[in-house]
Amino acid sequence: MNEERTSMDCAQFGEILQDLDRPGTEGFALRRSALAHAESCGRCALRMIEAESLDFALRTLAAREAERQAHPRVARALVEEVRVQSRSASRHGVRWQLAALGVAAALLLVLGYSLRHRFPPAAGSDAARDSAANHTSSPIAAPVAPVPDSNEDQSADSQSNDSDDETAFVSLPYADDPNALDGGAVVRVLLTRPALASLGLPVTDLGSADRIPADIVLSEDGAPQAIRLVSQASLDE
Amino acid sequence: MSQPIDLSDALLLRRMMAGDEDAFAQVYRRTHPAIYRFALHMTGNAGVADDVTQEVFMTLIRNPRRFDPARGTLGGFLFGIARNHLRKRWEQDRRLVPFTGDADDLGDTVSGGARAAHSASGNGAFGNGNGHSRTVTGPDELVLGESIGRLRQAISTLPENYREVVVLCELQEMTYEEAASLLGCPVGTVRSRLHRARAILVEKLRDPRPARRASVVGE
Repeated sequence: MNEERTSMDCAQFGEILQDLDRPGTEGFALRRSALAHAESCGRCALRMIEAESLDFALRTLAAREAERQAHPRVARALVEEVRVQSRSASRHGVRWQLAALGVAAALLLVLGYSLRHRFPPAAGSDAARDSAANHTSSPIAAPVAPVPDSNEDQSADSQSNDSDDETAFVSLPYADDPNALDGGAVVRVLLTRPALASLGLPVTDLGSADRIPADIVLSEDGAPQAIRLVSQASLDE
Repeated sequence: MSQPIDLSDALLLRRMMAGDEDAFAQVYRRTHPAIYRFALHMTGNAGVADDVTQEVFMTLIRNPRRFDPARGTLGGFLFGIARNHLRKRWEQDRRLVPFTGDADDLGDTVSGGARAAHSASGNGAFGNGNGHSRTVTGPDELVLGESIGRLRQAISTLPENYREVVVLCELQEMTYEEAASLLGCPVGTVRSRLHRARAILVEKLRDPRPARRASVVGE
């Protein structure tokens, strides 16, 4: 201790003077030595008094200002800015979502277009016929012939020219004006007997599970307009 | 009303970016007093301190992604913005001379809102150190008020880099390490600046003449 007291000179005292009350510093650790030096040195004692006065004044000033805060209008302005930024961000988000949806829709269109061109429907082919036969839930298969002329009777006559084993076309209950059938098509399908009966055809043995070939006349918009039965013999030909 | 949960700065900022006003309010309550007082002590003008505080948080609201938690605390980030704003202001308007003349905002009594605590604490009793106090209750307080007024004025005359360490280490009671981190300089530099600043303050407070604003900014 005595060694420490005698070893501290005025220069060292001046170096650590500002840290005497500052925990964690070298000056705080050497506080006792500094006090001892001040007791033996009048000049350093005066410096210590001035430093302590300054410390007191600074602490008083800090304490007086400790509770001061910005004016409430600052907080109000800032909260309003947060709202503005939030609205702006949400608008940006909606824009991004719309853009993403647009891109997704465009991709789907391109994909559909490319698939359509890669796998075109094989009109009149055996594959299409098989597909129609297997696709029992949908009565419509690939188109096989253009729609006959203006009315139902004429179409029935023309079809009957193709094969005597085919019955005449029967107009469906909700069919449009037969004159509007220009541009439509006739498709061959396999239907169950109850399905045929529901379309108004005279069918017996409704309990049978076999499927009956039939031709359906489709209008230009794809709606079925008329139907006729086709014999199995004409199919075998 | 229940106390808000104490969340990390980064989480609060993420919520703030998502439009959560409560998150911003928590950030503001937590950090703005230190920023405001720093600006107030650096400028000596309550209005300018309000403006600087507002600009600091506007910057945070508009560019929250500038804050990187890996590089420091949110408080340090805001202090950095405040220092930049203060420097810009001083560069743009050299007429803003802090703590000078009779217009000592730090000593003025202000009214309303957030200033109530300040006024209640008696700050308004000791104005600008010129003896025109309104609610002096005794000679000791008058002497103390005069001393504080002189101290404020002396601080205002310090060069900027000295004033910063006095404000941070003495008035905001930061450690050397904390101040060094905020100022982006070595601890030794902070310590030496404070040593020099205190010597200047002692000299100015010892001298009965009014302190003059420093013209040289340097070590």
